[in-house]
Amino acid sequence: MVATAGEASRPYRLRTVTGLSPLKEPRPLTVATGDAGEPVAVVLGGRRLAVERVEDVWRIDDEWWREEEVSRLYYRLLLEDGRPLVVFRDLVRELWCEQSY
Amino acid sequence: MRIACVLIPHFPAAVERRRDPALSGRPLVIGETPDQRKAVLDCSPEAEAQGVRAGMPLRQALALCREAVFLPPHPSRYSDVFDSMLVVLESFSPEVEQTSLGRAYLNAGGLARHYEGELDLGERIIRSLREATGLVAGVGIAEGKFVAWAAAVTSEPGQVCTVPEGKEAEFLQPLDVSLLPASPDTLRRLDLYGLRSMRDLASLSPGPLQAQFGGEGVRLWELARGVDSEPLRPRRREEMMSETLRFPTAAVSVEALVVACRRLLMRLHWRLRGRAARRLRLRAALWGGRSWEKTLTFHEAVTDWERMLFIVKNVLANAALPAPVEELTIELSGITEERGRQSTLFAEKAGLRRQLGETVRQLRARWGRPLVSRVVEVEPWSRLPERRHALIDYEP
Repeated sequence: MVATAGEASRPYRLRTVTGLSPLKEPRPLTVATGDAGEPVAVVLGGRRLAVERVEDVWRIDDEWWREEEVSRLYYRLLLEDGRPLVVFRDLVRELWCEQSY
Repeated sequence: MRIACVLIPHFPAAVERRRDPALSGRPLVIGETPDQRKAVLDCSPEAEAQGVRAGMPLRQALALCREAVFLPPHPSRYSDVFDSMLVVLESFSPEVEQTSLGRAYLNAGGLARHYEGELDLGERIIRSLREATGLVAGVGIAEGKFVAWAAAVTSEPGQVCTVPEGKEAEFLQPLDVSLLPASPDTLRRLDLYGLRSMRDLASLSPGPLQAQFGGEGVRLWELARGVDSEPLRPRRREEMMSETLRFPTAAVSVEALVVACRRLLMRLHWRLRGRAARRLRLRAALWGGRSWEKTLTFHEAVTDWERMLFIVKNVLANAALPAPVEELTIELSGITEERGRQSTLFAEKAGLRRQLGETVRQLRARWGRPLVSRVVEVEPWSRLPERRHALIDYEP
């Protein structure tokens, strides 16, 4: 099963403050998922890379008091080419993103 | 000090009309064609009467004055004519200050003795300028630069207006405060306070003006009373050298221009004989009789032609020349003896910060937008990475 970044063309931005450019903003990503919803491959630079192993999983639920609450399931991955990558599934918007953590 | 202000209003328009007499009497707007997103550089009095102003968008100028003739600007032509105007003025007095295109001041102290009074001096200046440049100037002679300028502005072209010593305030009284060198905001506020003539302003005491406008208020009050202590700053005659190259066929590529610049700079380097230059002017005669120029001031005097070429290359790469180049000229001025560079024994943090600030300011001036940012902590405790840090514009 392949879950696309959904609205990949639209910048992923939750909240911006005038004059500030946030660092480490999430970037939409195309991710293929397994039966349990875990990432099994990602597309980076037009290349499909299989996930060698999932090194860590954690969940962040935050800002529930805001209009757009945050609920993310993070995965620290090791890709087949040896590259580490942190991705998360936005459980509110139902899309995948990569992010420097 | 008696000062003469020589003024040719709408100088670029006057130069264009001298070149093409058929333009006389017609509204003239200088600054490319109205379909381009550029601003008006100058306009003739006829266009000004219809509301056209320097700095306004060309489309707006077209809307205000549909019958106007729109001409592309020729900066080199204007500066050449202005230079010849200054040379004429220097034949009257060795102390000549150039302020803006078409406006110059000269030290008239004691000059009247050599002529039949100040009126005669002014008339001779006007006559000499007409013979040398074909342009008609107005001349104002008074104590101080501001009163001399006000006298020149209020006189008709070809006329001389002299203000006797001690009569400055009396002369200025009926004039509008908009003649004062104040910011648009200050002029607007003066109008709101009902201060419309110099008389209104001069009749006040300086205290309230200082309270409202700070130091600028006191300066305007003094000017309105004819007190102007700003000294004359005569231009220094500098050694200048130039080299020109004419292309066999008009050049369109940046590469061709860079090759030409390389040749010109090598020639100039030979002529410099180890000395350094502080300013470089790049002038191009373009196809269709147009011209383009750019003046570069180096941070420190440069002697190395390759460094000059590097800077010129950057300028050419970013310059949008409006037409192919037929002739290219490089002028070097501010020529000094080369001095050894003194390195500091101990690195100074404050000095480095100053250098950084200067570089950031230069980049911003060059590109028109901030390019250097600083990382700041926003919510360092946040569990969301994008909330923790952000970039803000680096303010030196």
